[in-house]
Amino acid sequence: MVDAVFIAMAIVTVGGALIALEAKEIVYGAIGLAGSLFGVAAFFFLLDAPYVAVFQIAVYIGAVAVLILFTVMLVRQERWAKELPVRSLTKVAGILTGVVLVLALAIAALSSDISNDTQIQNTAGFVQIGQLISTTYAPILEVLALVLGAAIVGALTLSRTDREEKQQ
Amino acid sequence: MSKPILTFEDFVKRILKIVFWALLILPFIAIPVYYLLYAELHLPTDLFALATVKPFSFISWQLGLISTEPFKTLFALSVFPGFSFVAIYGTIFMGWVERKITAKVQLRTGPMYAGKVEGILQNFADFFKLLFKEMVIPNGVDTAIFVAIPFALMAVAGALISLVPLSPTIYIADPSVGAILVFAILGFSPLIVLLAGWASNSKYPFLGGLRALHQMVAYEIPMILSLLGAVLLSGTLYLAPAPCSQPCTPGPSIVTAQSNIWFIFLLPLGAIVFFIGSLAELERIPFDLPEADSELVAGWQTEYTSMLFGTFQLANFSRMYVLAGLFTTFFLGGWLGPAPVPGVAWFLIKTTIVMIAMMLPRSILPRVRIDMLLRAGWVKLLALAFLNIFIAMVLVSLGVV
Repeated sequence: MVDAVFIAMAIVTVGGALIALEAKEIVYGAIGLAGSLFGVAAFFFLLDAPYVAVFQIAVYIGAVAVLILFTVMLVRQERWAKELPVRSLTKVAGILTGVVLVLALAIAALSSDISNDTQIQNTAGFVQIGQLISTTYAPILEVLALVLGAAIVGALTLSRTDREEKQQ
Repeated sequence: MSKPILTFEDFVKRILKIVFWALLILPFIAIPVYYLLYAELHLPTDLFALATVKPFSFISWQLGLISTEPFKTLFALSVFPGFSFVAIYGTIFMGWVERKITAKVQLRTGPMYAGKVEGILQNFADFFKLLFKEMVIPNGVDTAIFVAIPFALMAVAGALISLVPLSPTIYIADPSVGAILVFAILGFSPLIVLLAGWASNSKYPFLGGLRALHQMVAYEIPMILSLLGAVLLSGTLYLAPAPCSQPCTPGPSIVTAQSNIWFIFLLPLGAIVFFIGSLAELERIPFDLPEADSELVAGWQTEYTSMLFGTFQLANFSRMYVLAGLFTTFFLGGWLGPAPVPGVAWFLIKTTIVMIAMMLPRSILPRVRIDMLLRAGWVKLLALAFLNIFIAMVLVSLGVV
């Protein structure tokens, strides 16, 4: 049962990513991205981490995918990606890079001590996660909050200058 | 009041009618009443034990069948707490209730002709009308997405239905993160609505889709925060007690934490924020900007016809049932109530009252402007939701619950 779900979700994840890269209509690409992110959330469910999975769905599909789709729709074009002439040397270099990457990942995965029969003893509930975040990892949480706050202030500043330029 | 019998056909019709009602009333009313009297008054002989054909044994055989495993899950998914129940009670019946209530408030009569009592079958008639209408797919739409959207919306509604617990034992799914999973699933709907507006390739649906996106994103955050108060007070994310092997005490859950006092009395602000947020999430008046009929025809549903449109109605009413059920679960004590009435009945009574409360603004309030709506969502409701969390923290630290 878990294997079937795993394979189905792997197909969704990789297929969604492929659609996101290859789709001619860019809205289809955004939908593919959402599907890929949903597949990742399903993996978290399979790994007994429902808390992470739920936030993966809420943040990446509920917010990020929606914002990407929203932005993409406002700049709709018939042919987003122009067909560029592909030189054979570039093609060979791309394939070689891909093969080397896959081999490196496979070697790393095979030489590590990850195996199928590792039993997860105590999966952390949201209570433990909350305790850890507010005690041990509190400095990291504060740094992350500062980074996000800086990003929001930066976005506000950028959009404000944009608006003033338009008024002039 | 019946018609006079003039022909042989009328005579046969009358006989068949009597037989039909006898067959209907006998197993459901006569036999239970007889056995009630038999137990209470100690009647001398068991009349139905003498009979060779026992219509009620067929029913008890069916009840026995659906309590075994593969049928139990199928029954739960497709019939009782699941799809058919929500389609008939939540959509068709409550749709009729909404039409009648709106009509009565505005001094009209509402549907009167389909069905014997107050036009109770009107929404069944409308359902069959939608089912047999021609499915028009306009030129220039993105057909794949256009046709997939109603099914996607219905899938979201179905996933939400599975999370509502009707009683400690009657639910479809009870995940350990139930309270947050609700919002993870609700987060799909802006994506789907935006795609519906885009795929229709028409200006009214696109404007409606953009409005729906702004509205849903703005009101989702106060809704999540308004439920955190209840989670803090109960200390768990389970909606119903977690299932456990036979000799054990049931674990904590949001409903059982309210056995002393309902959370609506401890956290009235949270209940108000959740109620307003769910009105906005459901696009109901006064927040029906995405489908404002006087400006946008029908918003993002404009280009949809026949059963594709019917699926939208089904999904919208299912989501309304789910949000009313969640209001009941989080603030009105779910299935808790005095003993002789079963828990499911208490849950349904409370949910029906909440749904009627959601319908009433439709007949008495005007539509708000989009800037008022967004300001109320991002400024006022968010502040109220944070205030609600602080109240919950104070209550927890005082040891009230």
